[in-house]
Amino acid sequence: MSLTTSLAATSAPRRAPRTSLLTKRRRRVGVVLVLPALALVGLLIAYPIGQAVYYSFTSWDGLTTQWIGPSTWTQAFHNPTMWTALKNNAELLLAVPFALGIPLLVAVMLHQRVAGWKIFRSIYFLPTAISWVVIGLVAEHFFAYSGTLNSLLSDVGLSSVHTNMLGQENEALIALGITFVFSMIGTNTMLFLTGLATLDQSLEEAARIDGAGAWRIFRHITLPHLSRFIQLAFVMTVISAFSALFSLIFVMTGGGPGYSTTTMEFLVYQTGFNQSQFGTAALYGIILFVITALVGIVQLRLIGAKDS
Amino acid sequence: MAEIVFDQVAKVYPGGNTAVQNLSLHVADGEFMVLVGPSGCGKTTALRMIAGLEEVSDGTISIGGRVVNNVLPKDRDIAMVFQNYALYPQMTVAQNMGFALKIRNVPKDEIARRVGEAAKILRLTEYLDRRPKALSGGQRQRVAMGRAIVREPQAFLMDEPLSNLDAQLRVEMRTEISRIQRLLGVATIYVTHDQTEAMTMGDRVAVMRGGILQQVATPDDLYDHPANAFVAGFIGSPPMNLLNAVVDERDGGLHVRFGDQSVVVPERYRQSHRLDAYVGRPLLLGVRPEDLVAATGDAPGRFTATVTLREALGSEILAHLNFGGEEVIVTDDTTTAPAAHSSRVVARLGARAKVEVGERVELTLNPENLHFFDAESGVTLRGGA
Amino acid sequence: MSVATTTPTSRPAARSQVRRRVGRTAIFVAMTIMAIIMLYPFAVMVLISFKTNAQYLIGQGSSTQTWQQINSSLPVWQELWNSTVVCTLSIAIILVIGVMAGFSFAKLQFRGGNVVFLGIVSAMMVPLQAILIPEFVNIAKTGLTNNYLGAVVVYAALGAPFSIFLFTTYFRRIPDELIEAGIVDGLGYWGVLWRLALPMALPAIATVTVLQFIQIWDDLLVGLLFLQNPNERTITVGLAALAAGHTTSIPLLMAGSLVSAAPAMIVYLIFQRFLVRGLTMGIDR
Repeated sequence: MSLTTSLAATSAPRRAPRTSLLTKRRRRVGVVLVLPALALVGLLIAYPIGQAVYYSFTSWDGLTTQWIGPSTWTQAFHNPTMWTALKNNAELLLAVPFALGIPLLVAVMLHQRVAGWKIFRSIYFLPTAISWVVIGLVAEHFFAYSGTLNSLLSDVGLSSVHTNMLGQENEALIALGITFVFSMIGTNTMLFLTGLATLDQSLEEAARIDGAGAWRIFRHITLPHLSRFIQLAFVMTVISAFSALFSLIFVMTGGGPGYSTTTMEFLVYQTGFNQSQFGTAALYGIILFVITALVGIVQLRLIGAKDS
Repeated sequence: MAEIVFDQVAKVYPGGNTAVQNLSLHVADGEFMVLVGPSGCGKTTALRMIAGLEEVSDGTISIGGRVVNNVLPKDRDIAMVFQNYALYPQMTVAQNMGFALKIRNVPKDEIARRVGEAAKILRLTEYLDRRPKALSGGQRQRVAMGRAIVREPQAFLMDEPLSNLDAQLRVEMRTEISRIQRLLGVATIYVTHDQTEAMTMGDRVAVMRGGILQQVATPDDLYDHPANAFVAGFIGSPPMNLLNAVVDERDGGLHVRFGDQSVVVPERYRQSHRLDAYVGRPLLLGVRPEDLVAATGDAPGRFTATVTLREALGSEILAHLNFGGEEVIVTDDTTTAPAAHSSRVVARLGARAKVEVGERVELTLNPENLHFFDAESGVTLRGGA
Repeated sequence: MSVATTTPTSRPAARSQVRRRVGRTAIFVAMTIMAIIMLYPFAVMVLISFKTNAQYLIGQGSSTQTWQQINSSLPVWQELWNSTVVCTLSIAIILVIGVMAGFSFAKLQFRGGNVVFLGIVSAMMVPLQAILIPEFVNIAKTGLTNNYLGAVVVYAALGAPFSIFLFTTYFRRIPDELIEAGIVDGLGYWGVLWRLALPMALPAIATVTVLQFIQIWDDLLVGLLFLQNPNERTITVGLAALAAGHTTSIPLLMAGSLVSAAPAMIVYLIFQRFLVRGLTMGIDR
């Protein structure tokens, strides 16, 4: 019953080397596997951001670059067009609650598993597959003076309320917003539906046994569980509002009438490729980036705060 | 010659956590060595260091006489059976078992032969074309073993292979693994937290706690002569009763006093356990449940206790008793001073014993099998090498 | 808010069951209305494309003339081919790079790995417009603007961060034991990736493929700028160009829309379940 037998050791104990061969190999392979991704993202995303910052201080028509300096920025902030664009972006953000609320409702309805819900689900998701260009074209037809909206109104007997939304300065943006909400319904519904699917049934059942009504269950059990998903949907929707909207604008209004539907993402294109002011366009691009980065960071803070 | 030697091996994690401390252990060729201990004791870490899946912080590990600290796992000529089997899901049983050979470009017919033989030993022949997800837990476990057997390595390393099986299957597979190991005669290091597996399967058993090797010996030795209070309490189920006690010199002989009871200690213990040095000093008295017997006639050293719980197992009755003393439970954490607990002992009585809850019974300690441990260090007082 | 079915044992229970049934019917009606709204674009496209311009203006009649003449106004086959080539090449790059990086981030810890991961994933936040100008200039300088390669490389860079994020999350689920078994059996980490991890990653690959296909096929801005040559134009850009020329007939636009939308819809319908899985994989970390 002795503790250990003495050793017939073949070598005297010595310090083992710090890192094992296996660990070294793992690290090496790890680095090599990541290099292509790093190169791709670094060269084509990170590097251009730096360049954009540089270009934002220049006046550049595509042929000659001329360094100007910080005055390009002060000029930009005095440019009413830019403020119009920002204002348009801000106003479009009013559509975000709808772009979140409607999908939430739809997801909850789907979650009830009423007869044929799988078919409904497929139908609701279908528009996510088609391009915003296509949606924009159909929307343009819908809102046009001779389009579907007006003929619907006529059918209901409201022919006096005919509109020409895309031709009116203060209405075009609303039409755009409605189309934007439509485009986001599919993706966000998908997101929320999955969130609901991960919700533990037994929680709901326990609550019902305790006597909670449908609304209370929704408020105190369903919504808190979905908060992560809602946050993700929020970030994705806002980022879309600042970038993906381009296709809709291009096809539906071309930024007009006037500048009433020109948002920052469209302005970048217009300033750069229609007006050949690449320096200014780069500048607007940077502003766009700062805005989306801020949204992302704020959101991360909120998520981080909740988790801790 | 495929012996495995740990020479003062230590494993320290970057945060400062020491998983294994100064481990020196020698596993002979063909031996079935079990590493057992509570979770966190370092047994799995030690096993993984043999495999090469953990870096060795200090000391050397040798396999077959060769120091392997800086050798890749695949070059160590060892095979491992993982706790969750780790079978390749996209491959059939036959492909799983033959994979290591395929990588080394062993000719196809040789692979088929070895796989076929292993399948026969493990009774897997009819499952060779199935995928892991179509197999039961026990079958998957056997495939994991087959994968190791096919390698024909110098040593098998097994990491709690039975812990995911249900109780009945576990008993079956225990004997299977023992049989196969004896058949193949390959040195095996087997990690488990279950002391029953350790006792039934091992040629020798190494008990670990908190990264430190407590004792390595044959199962019998561990049971009869535990080196410290931890091993005493860990090996054997139900565990050995450990009681705070004091040895008195009285009426020309030794008595051990625990709680409100006092019992005569046979004279030979004075010599074998060096009790002279402990007269009047607190120590730990260890008595196995089967060494607490119902007192008959006028046997000396009887004491009384009250039955608080009665567990009838069919083959025996476990009686939990209170006697107004203090029982000691040695815990898994490495603080050396064992904490005192409520006053219980467990006695293993025959199936026909007539005891009811609330009854006062008279018991004696079997004087042949008393254990004494130092109250602070837990080390056995038994003299000898 | 799911509704469990119970058997009524008394009057009040029966009443609540009726209430429940009414509720479910109401939901069904609401969902049908929703479905009509969501299907509206498709109905419009189909109906109008089967008219001539004249019929459209009147609002009556149908014909297949627009469809028969579509090829003369819109180089449909050429553009469909361009879209296919661009999608295939971009997705191939994304998959190879994504699988490699995803496996590395998930299983091969190396110094600074976490930082690099965060860096690449945060690239998801960069809106295209921010880097558009310099990107265009860079690609133009290397002469790749009127070549598939320019657009392919840009699409790959834009799609890589999210794909890498998906692959990393997916590979993290592989048990470490499995990789260790491969190591003990004799594979190096490179072998573990291609022989063990990759076969297990087929669902993730399908997901990334579907998501990126839809993204790239339906994209306007990159195609507009990097594939300006009409020979290399994608179908989506072609459609937008058609729309920008204000003399085009609406039925033609609708027909073009259908052509542009059809492949993406087919891909979606075939790979539906992967779409759902993919979008939400990033959520349960």
